[in-house]
Amino acid sequence: MIKVENISKYYGTLQALNNISFTINEGTCFGLVGPNGAGKSTLMKILSGILLNFDGDIHVRDWKVSKDRLKIKQQIGYIPQEICLEDTLTARDNLILFGNLYGLKGKELQRRMDEVLDQIGLSERVKDKVVTFSGGMKRRLNIGCALLHKPGIVIMDEPTVGIDPQSRNSIFSIIHQLKAEGSTIIYSSHYMEEVEQLCDSIGLIDKGQLMEFGRMEELLEKYAKPSLFIAGESIELGMLQTFGEAEAKGNGYLLNSDEPLLTLEKLVAHCRENSLEPRRLELYHPRLEDIFFNLTGTQLRDA
Amino acid sequence: MWAIARTELKKTVQDKGLWFWTFVLPIVFIVAFVAIFSGDESTSYKEVVTQIIPGYTIMFAFFIMISMVIVFVKDRERGMVARIASTPLSIHQYFFGKWLPFMIIVLVQITVLFGFGVVVYDLPLGDPFALILLSLALAFIVTGWGMAMAVIVRTENMGIAMTQILALGGALLGGLWMPVEFMPDVVQNISKALPQYWALQGYKEIILSGGGVADIWLHLLILIIAGVAGGVLALVSYPRFLRQSRS
Repeated sequence: MIKVENISKYYGTLQALNNISFTINEGTCFGLVGPNGAGKSTLMKILSGILLNFDGDIHVRDWKVSKDRLKIKQQIGYIPQEICLEDTLTARDNLILFGNLYGLKGKELQRRMDEVLDQIGLSERVKDKVVTFSGGMKRRLNIGCALLHKPGIVIMDEPTVGIDPQSRNSIFSIIHQLKAEGSTIIYSSHYMEEVEQLCDSIGLIDKGQLMEFGRMEELLEKYAKPSLFIAGESIELGMLQTFGEAEAKGNGYLLNSDEPLLTLEKLVAHCRENSLEPRRLELYHPRLEDIFFNLTGTQLRDA
Repeated sequence: MWAIARTELKKTVQDKGLWFWTFVLPIVFIVAFVAIFSGDESTSYKEVVTQIIPGYTIMFAFFIMISMVIVFVKDRERGMVARIASTPLSIHQYFFGKWLPFMIIVLVQITVLFGFGVVVYDLPLGDPFALILLSLALAFIVTGWGMAMAVIVRTENMGIAMTQILALGGALLGGLWMPVEFMPDVVQNISKALPQYWALQGYKEIILSGGGVADIWLHLLILIIAGVAGGVLALVSYPRFLRQSRS
């Protein structure tokens, strides 16, 4: 179990994190989401032991970060957003470097290297220099370097940025395998569908504060309004508002209703009577992205 | 720690630029300047080679700071500093691992350039023990300052510019290009605040005057203190360096 207790962090007078607390159960995948500048990276750096000066404490199993930093670091595999590899050296050299940094040597290191290379699908390229690798291969090796010491906690900071769908799929397989092996995963990403697909629980952070925390299904239920999605040239917002609260969404409209099936029936009848032909008419299942926009708004955050 | 040192050494050996700055260019300078000044009848041949070979060796030893700046700034820019900080490696082990290969390179550089002097110009070496100690102290100060510079500078260009100022300014004022005795009193006083001066005077003491460790203890002490100051500055500046690292 990872217990984050009252974490606050200041950069000079700027408060990056404000009294954040949550608990991640062992063997689960926790998604950390938030807009740019929300404090996500600061929290990831604290969780991975990079940032040392902060208020509050983190408990990992029976250890406290404030007292047992080295023991905790040995349990963590940190996969940064940046590709942290020595480009001019081979994949093997890079794996040896990170294996050694976690205390692996000799036959044990070789055995783990073989296992990890197999896991990330780079066994055939082990003797090649990293500079010759594609973006996806580098990302996979970046992950492999963090898994050599079989960490119980894997922290992934946007591991799928800028890669092709095949490599992304391969990374998802690695994550599923890690989950099956019982690893605890902390996953940060801007891709909401990835977080929704992979994570059991999420923390939504904005302006340094934890806006929401909980199990994915609970949050979807909490924020999701039962609704219908309807689209078509002949469909107008004014007409939909006679059935309930409606708003534009994408290339159609979202119609909120406490009884979506009943509203669906009425809407179909109305369309028949008035010879309206919707292009799409379906029950809408709320997504993590809806919760995200609901809590953080839709305004740009890069200013 | 040894993993970092091994990796750094492997990377550095592949860097052709470093070979040029460390070995090729200094030899070209030594050959050119010995050829120019050995025709001067007022100065003995021994004095010429004792001024030029150690002088240019010291000057080019300072250029290792450029390689150190490049390595540290690159590590910061691509997040390697933060990545390594997430491992159980301590800050001291990180710095030691990064520092050791450059220390070795400077020692090899000094050996090669002095060896070249011995073979080609019959450079006398004096007390080998004193020579080794002084060379260790020289390598220690240039790499210590190199680490400090590498951790403090914001950009690679800033580091290269500052190294040029330190290496070339120090060479000029520290008497590496011409003996300090030929300079005005004010400059001679400034020289004494520069490590280049103490390194060169130490080498001259050993080679020209046949001095031993007892004769260069002050030179050694000054160089080591300056090197330690560089190392401490690097350690103190590390938290800021880590904060600036991508991750």
